[in-house]
Amino acid sequence: MITISSLSKQYVSGRGHVSALSDISFSVAHGRGVILAGKSGSGKTTLLNCIGTLETPDSGSIICNGVDICGLNARQRALFRRREVSFVFQSGNLLPWLTVAENLQLPLELNAITGADQRHRIEELLETFGLAGYEKAMPAELSGGESQRIAFARAIAHTPSILLADEPTASLDSENGRQLIELMFSLCHTKGMCLFIATHDQELLGMAETVIALKDGKLLPAAPAPTG
Amino acid sequence: MRFAFILKIATLILLRSWRATAVLSFMVITAVAALVFLSALAVGTNDAMIRNSTGLFSGHISGSGISASDAGKLQVTGVEQVLLRHHRPVILSTSSSLEPATLLGVDPLQEQKATAFWKKTVQGRYPAAGSQEIYLSQDSAKRLKLQVGDRVTLRTHQSVALKQLTVSGIYKTGISHLDQGLAFCPTTALPPGAQELSVALFLAAEAPIDEVVSTLRRRLPTASVTPWMEFMPDLKQLIDLDYICMAIVITLVFAIVSVGISCTFLIFTLKNLREHGIMKAMGFMAGDTALLLVSQISLLTVFAATVGTLLGVLIVTVFAQIGIDIGAFTSHNQYFSVSGMLYPRLTGLALFTPPLVAVVFGLAAAIWPIVTIIRKNPADILRSV
Repeated sequence: MITISSLSKQYVSGRGHVSALSDISFSVAHGRGVILAGKSGSGKTTLLNCIGTLETPDSGSIICNGVDICGLNARQRALFRRREVSFVFQSGNLLPWLTVAENLQLPLELNAITGADQRHRIEELLETFGLAGYEKAMPAELSGGESQRIAFARAIAHTPSILLADEPTASLDSENGRQLIELMFSLCHTKGMCLFIATHDQELLGMAETVIALKDGKLLPAAPAPTG
Repeated sequence: MRFAFILKIATLILLRSWRATAVLSFMVITAVAALVFLSALAVGTNDAMIRNSTGLFSGHISGSGISASDAGKLQVTGVEQVLLRHHRPVILSTSSSLEPATLLGVDPLQEQKATAFWKKTVQGRYPAAGSQEIYLSQDSAKRLKLQVGDRVTLRTHQSVALKQLTVSGIYKTGISHLDQGLAFCPTTALPPGAQELSVALFLAAEAPIDEVVSTLRRRLPTASVTPWMEFMPDLKQLIDLDYICMAIVITLVFAIVSVGISCTFLIFTLKNLREHGIMKAMGFMAGDTALLLVSQISLLTVFAATVGTLLGVLIVTVFAQIGIDIGAFTSHNQYFSVSGMLYPRLTGLALFTPPLVAVVFGLAAAIWPIVTIIRKNPADILRSV
């Protein structure tokens, strides 16, 4: 369970103080998929970054598995990200100097999953994502859809408890995007991960169990997720 | 994370970004090769100065206060040639002039074999073994108005005529203590009377001069045994100065190269800024990032320094064979009085200092990129790139 309470974050920019998040509170149970909806600048990415400990909120708390991650120091935050969190970004997720297999190896190495376990896990992931035989391919040789699938495979390789995806379908066509989101929801259910997807793609809203809408850093009143 | 895996990533980054790697390596390879050659050239220059200064006349070690019966004790390990010289103060006289001089009785064959003094002949030739000939400096010959073939009378300081010798040759070294007040003749031509014996010892290449000197001093406690560093302190200082200058050059070159490496490596690192942001988002800690960048630059500098050293060795080997003739610039220099040829020579210091300094400065060059990446917030990186 992730519980976010009274989360606020301001940026100082040339325009003065900009409120990126203002008094955000909600809870999400493990195994649930959440879509963070909102226009550009609504605070979706900042919220994802706060949950992923890439940014520290000015006030409020994020309780994850009983720990307020806002109180962690830099080292603890890095360890938390290493073990509990994964990110899938809009594009350019893969490290260009590493092959597909080496990219998948990275989170496993970070979490001390080595040897036969590591090899087995990489094979399993490639199989699951329909990319068997791509082990030695370089990221530059992959299509956008394949890249995002590998990025997602890498994100769940070490089975984190939170998966944060920031506009993961933005660089994909609608069919590939829909397939990726379906795969994300399906695997997160299976693995019991909390999935947060930030998007402004209205078509994806119908696929979510929970939609959290943001506007100007504030939570909009709950609305039933569109069906269909 | 396992160090081996970080090392693997560092290697892959270098290999798969080979253009950037090649540019950075080229800088280090060039600098190391140039400095290995320059270091070897400095050693070669010092060798040449020692060879010229000791090979002309004095030898590596000079001795005095030695009796002829002790000559056998001079043959110690490392000594290649022992020249005995008998000193006899005389007055050189002609019908019109007088010139006080120290006449050195030498073995002409041995002298010509071990020294280059005979090459300084400007007229005539070196005295023949067993002859009644004398070899005069140009200054003395001029004052005495003598030519090759003229006869000169040797007198005591009380003006007693001892004998006459024929001028076989006239020399000029350009070194005042050799051009003033000395004359040479075969030992057999020396007039009878009180003589002093001095010795000049020539060492084999690489012979440990300090050990030879201490052995001789042990064997001949009453004799005066002096290595060239003591009787030519100016040369010793010059050589020390040469090494100091070389150390300064190496340090300066690598300080400049390391700034170049640091700037280029920073650009290289910033080019991969997004990837570093992703790795930080995945849980790379400051130590992991530092280790990755240090591994990258260590691998690069070790590789480039090795190639640079091999290239430097190759260049030194070539020039050690053919030599470098700087005679046109040293004709009036006493430290190059015999030959202006330089033969670069590699020593442990000349061979290992440049690559070692390259690696150390390379690591220092990694500090800036490391600090830059570590200080950046991954969210800022991912937002900005």
